[in-house]
Amino acid sequence: MIEVKNLSKEYGSLKAIDDVSFSIKKGDVVGFLGPNGAGKSTTMKIITGFMAPSSGSASISGFDVFENPIEVKKRIGYLPETPPVYSDLYVHEYLKYVAQLKKVPKDRINTLVNRAIEKTNLGSVQNRLIHHLSKGFKQRVGIAQAIVSDPEVLILDEPTVGLDPKQVAEIRDLIRELRGQHTIVLSTHILPEVQATCERVVIISKGKIVAQDTIDNLSKLEKGQGRIFVRLRKEVSDLKSVIAGIDEVMSVDQGTSKKEWRIDFKGDDETIEKVSSKIVGNGLGLIELTPSKVDLEDVFLKLTYGMEKGG
Amino acid sequence: MSSIMTIAWKEFKGFVKSPTFYIMMALLTLILSSLFTIQLQRFFQMGSMAMSQPGMGGQLNIHYTVFLNHLQILNLLLIFIVPAITMRLFAEEKKLRTFDLLLTSPLKSYEIVIGKYLGAMLALLVVFGIAFLYPLGTAMFAKFNWAPLLIAFFGIYLIAAIYAAMNLFCSSLSESILISYVMAAILNITVWFVSQGVEFADSQWARNILEHISLSFHISGLIEGTIRTNSLIYFFSGIGLFLFLNERVVESHRWR
Repeated sequence: MIEVKNLSKEYGSLKAIDDVSFSIKKGDVVGFLGPNGAGKSTTMKIITGFMAPSSGSASISGFDVFENPIEVKKRIGYLPETPPVYSDLYVHEYLKYVAQLKKVPKDRINTLVNRAIEKTNLGSVQNRLIHHLSKGFKQRVGIAQAIVSDPEVLILDEPTVGLDPKQVAEIRDLIRELRGQHTIVLSTHILPEVQATCERVVIISKGKIVAQDTIDNLSKLEKGQGRIFVRLRKEVSDLKSVIAGIDEVMSVDQGTSKKEWRIDFKGDDETIEKVSSKIVGNGLGLIELTPSKVDLEDVFLKLTYGMEKGG
Repeated sequence: MSSIMTIAWKEFKGFVKSPTFYIMMALLTLILSSLFTIQLQRFFQMGSMAMSQPGMGGQLNIHYTVFLNHLQILNLLLIFIVPAITMRLFAEEKKLRTFDLLLTSPLKSYEIVIGKYLGAMLALLVVFGIAFLYPLGTAMFAKFNWAPLLIAFFGIYLIAAIYAAMNLFCSSLSESILISYVMAAILNITVWFVSQGVEFADSQWARNILEHISLSFHISGLIEGTIRTNSLIYFFSGIGLFLFLNERVVESHRWR
């Protein structure tokens, strides 16, 4: 569906993206993840045909973005960082205008406009000026604008940025709802968003792709590694010496006080059992033990910022 | 074609709905009304004087004494009205990032430019409609020849069309409405000065060149009621040149 090969873009001497390649299958929901300024928006702008790359190629449904931009643009719904809404138009009028611009056949315009309004829950404001809408509503109008032409590919650049938690949840629900009907690419630097909506993740950092896989695989990137938090009733000056006998324990760090500790280990549930029995056996008063998986956040931080530290 | 009309119609509706446009039109009406009545009054005074002094009435012609002055005033006002109409067409879209929508829609750059240009030309039709009310009102109590008047109006509309092409181009260069207005107005004034410069040129050679690039030289035929093809070519190539430059600016956004 979307094929990106060796894409590079330079702004003067600054390399925004560097030799990026990936492919997205029809119907996938892909999260484009990276810290601010990693090149997410640039990549998206190139895929939409909004801007040309310095080198490399991109194609959508077999149409090259630069040789056949018109065909590509007909198949894409794009929500830029700032929703491109005209404040002097009414919501309904605006969506109709966008549908006309996207060359939707005349007899389908009304159906599609109403469908977009319904999907984005804009019914209550459809006869209001966009100027008077709140930021959350404007963002939703932006999404409605992207889906109004019923495109094969939806590209959403940070769709939930600047919204309140309820609106964020609504937009995530909407994206989940759109899954299956469109191929969706969404960029974000908010991890839970990716976990909540996407099946696959492409992690980009400093213009380069550092990982691309399904979320499940990425979470298991560090296989067999685990982390547990323990809270004790008694203060312990050095928990490390208490559980020294267990080989699987990799590191022991103190939490906010001498009663809270974080233990990283390599192993399985047996290791956790060993640790807990040691603590209980020493009479330290174990009152809480929480195992936690290495989550996407750790993977993300390791891949993006970890590389920086390591040089 | 349909996308051009979609854009043109959207821009036109945008003008008609904006309060700024109404304020502008009200000011236009105010200026034209006060000056037109003065012209008309003078014409009738001269008429009655001619009646008492036979032999003077030969030069009196409502087309020259009233309507042409009316159009000259409109011509001057256009220098400031046209930039006000075109200033937001590109600058505002770029500033509010709605330009992204146009650039990611299945449109060719020239469709965007021509659509916006036609939108501005439709808005200018309103301006000319208002200006045309004055001769129309005069027709209620005076008889005159309509054809030269219509051709003269057409001539001034061509001037407005050339201003609109230049000023739309200015709008595409900037993200600020104010800068685009000032740039456009300065360009219009410059062109207007070239027309005036013909009279002050010393050498015949310079005078010939200035004459051929001056608007007023080409418009003079139309204003008197005659259509000359070289003038039409001059106007349409001027419009074409600036629309082409404009299209290049829009296109350049795609590979920057």
